[in-house]
Amino acid sequence: MTTDALALPRRARRASSASGWLKGFDLAGGHVVMALLSLFCLFPVYWMIVTSLRPANKVFERSLWPTAASLDNYTYALNAIPIGQMLVNTLIVAAIVTVVQLITGLLAAYAFARWRFPFDKLVHVLIALTWLVPLQVVMIPNYLLIANAGLLDSLTALILPHFASALAVLMLLQAMRSFPNEVLEAARMDGAGSWRVLWEVVTPNLRGTIASLAILIFISTWNEYFWPLLLTRTPEHSVIQIGIQMFMTSEGTQWGPLMAASTLASLPIFILYIVLQQQVVSSFMKSGIR
Amino acid sequence: MTAAIATMGSTEKPLARRRTRTANRRLLPWLYLSPVIATFIVWIYWPLIDAFRLSFYQWDMLPTSPIVPVGWTNYINIFSLPKFWQALGNTGWYIAGLLPLAVALPLAIAIFTADLPPRARMVYRGIIFVPMIVAPVVAAAIWRWLLDPGHGMVNMMMRDFGFRPLRFLQDPNLALWTIVVLTGWKLIGFSTLILSAANANINPSLIEAARMDGASKWEIIRDIRLPLLSSTVLFLVMMTILLGAQWSFSYINVLTGGGPLGSSTNIYYVLWDFGFSSLSVGWSSAAAVILFLGFGALAFVLFRLIDKVSFHDN
Repeated sequence: MTTDALALPRRARRASSASGWLKGFDLAGGHVVMALLSLFCLFPVYWMIVTSLRPANKVFERSLWPTAASLDNYTYALNAIPIGQMLVNTLIVAAIVTVVQLITGLLAAYAFARWRFPFDKLVHVLIALTWLVPLQVVMIPNYLLIANAGLLDSLTALILPHFASALAVLMLLQAMRSFPNEVLEAARMDGAGSWRVLWEVVTPNLRGTIASLAILIFISTWNEYFWPLLLTRTPEHSVIQIGIQMFMTSEGTQWGPLMAASTLASLPIFILYIVLQQQVVSSFMKSGIR
Repeated sequence: MTAAIATMGSTEKPLARRRTRTANRRLLPWLYLSPVIATFIVWIYWPLIDAFRLSFYQWDMLPTSPIVPVGWTNYINIFSLPKFWQALGNTGWYIAGLLPLAVALPLAIAIFTADLPPRARMVYRGIIFVPMIVAPVVAAAIWRWLLDPGHGMVNMMMRDFGFRPLRFLQDPNLALWTIVVLTGWKLIGFSTLILSAANANINPSLIEAARMDGASKWEIIRDIRLPLLSSTVLFLVMMTILLGAQWSFSYINVLTGGGPLGSSTNIYYVLWDFGFSSLSVGWSSAAAVILFLGFGALAFVLFRLIDKVSFHDN
């Protein structure tokens, strides 16, 4: 069979059974590769949850599932630092940032989609270029601004700099540009002002994009580390990402509570992912990497 | 003819109307843009200018201490600082190490697994995407646990197979590469998904036609798949070059603090270190300006490159 395929490479149909066999082999190989990649991607997360559930004196065990599940580590972690408060803080920051970025993004995208005005291209480029400016480059002036305003160590400090994002503006603009112009014209003919057209005609039709963006912004704000690291000082006024770090000290690491805190910090995102998996994956893919 | 006049008329009319609009009307787009513009001016563009200004001063960030103008001294000092060159070199190694993990390997996997049935594909997709939504700090915590020299799973397994345990994060020869792998862990699944999607978008009749002509699997990959994937690949390469070293910041800060002996530091971490460990505003700002100009030039070149290639693609 194989020699047949080699002898008559241009007769694809004749060689079909050989290529079928080869295809099966490729398929198995594909599964092996994907299974390995899946293991690499998922095992660390699984190990975090398993470790967090082991009794305090059995943290170093290596069994693939906890032999005796216990919430010791969670109790310890919750007593050691104000995790509840930090989770609430994170939720507040992520929720407000999501809503505000969507609103400012809608307003700006609408301006570009509806009007042509002097310097519109330049402003568009300047907005798009903001993602190229690393936080580390602007951190000192930002820090000084927050400090001078007396906002250090407050949730406001974590929210204010995130009032707008290039991602929101650009994604919404792209969605608005593919929006049928006739509908906008019709609304305008009806005498609806630009404000009403935006909120009553455009926004309801962008639900899909808005949902994608909301997921993206919420997850990335929830996971944000650099900004809280720079601007918060006390656990009560900080977010959960900073809390996790508190279990890793130079004297030693409390693995059980660290894994418990990490699991708690990831839980809301994991639940969101389990419920909205397709949407989460596609919103990230739509946005590229950032 | 009448139709042409009619269409001309219809384009003319709104123009005339636009001209008669009041100044108020002309302000309207700017009003809509104002929240975004204000945010970016206050938090990005003004700080950029301010960083430039501060790079010519010496200051320790305390409101009470004087801000001393020092001219180009900060720049001269930074360029003569071995730590800066080490960080710059390491940044290059980070990017070089991430490219195979975030681009080459995912590309190979995406092509190799192209024939998997849709249902299996969906399952894998759900799993390999997970690292992307794990917070960097959580990822750092998990890997610190897995790689712990004493009780970490990885070292225990290595001991079972008769290897000496490795001090992944404490060994100056290993720390940087360990962080590269951790950063790659977050990206590899996602890049694979992006490339798989692009690969699945390739018109199957092209592949079929090539197969009919007797092209081998490798020839199909080389002559059809790779050229058609090139714009996606370039996009990922560009992202990795421009942002790769930045993605490692959380891991460096949580896991190694740039050490041991500066072996795992990079340019972003050095900025942080100058600014908030050494409290040297001038140095940090000067390094920021150097970084910004350097990466700005790099981005410009990459964008031009992408422009050329995507034109080719059409």
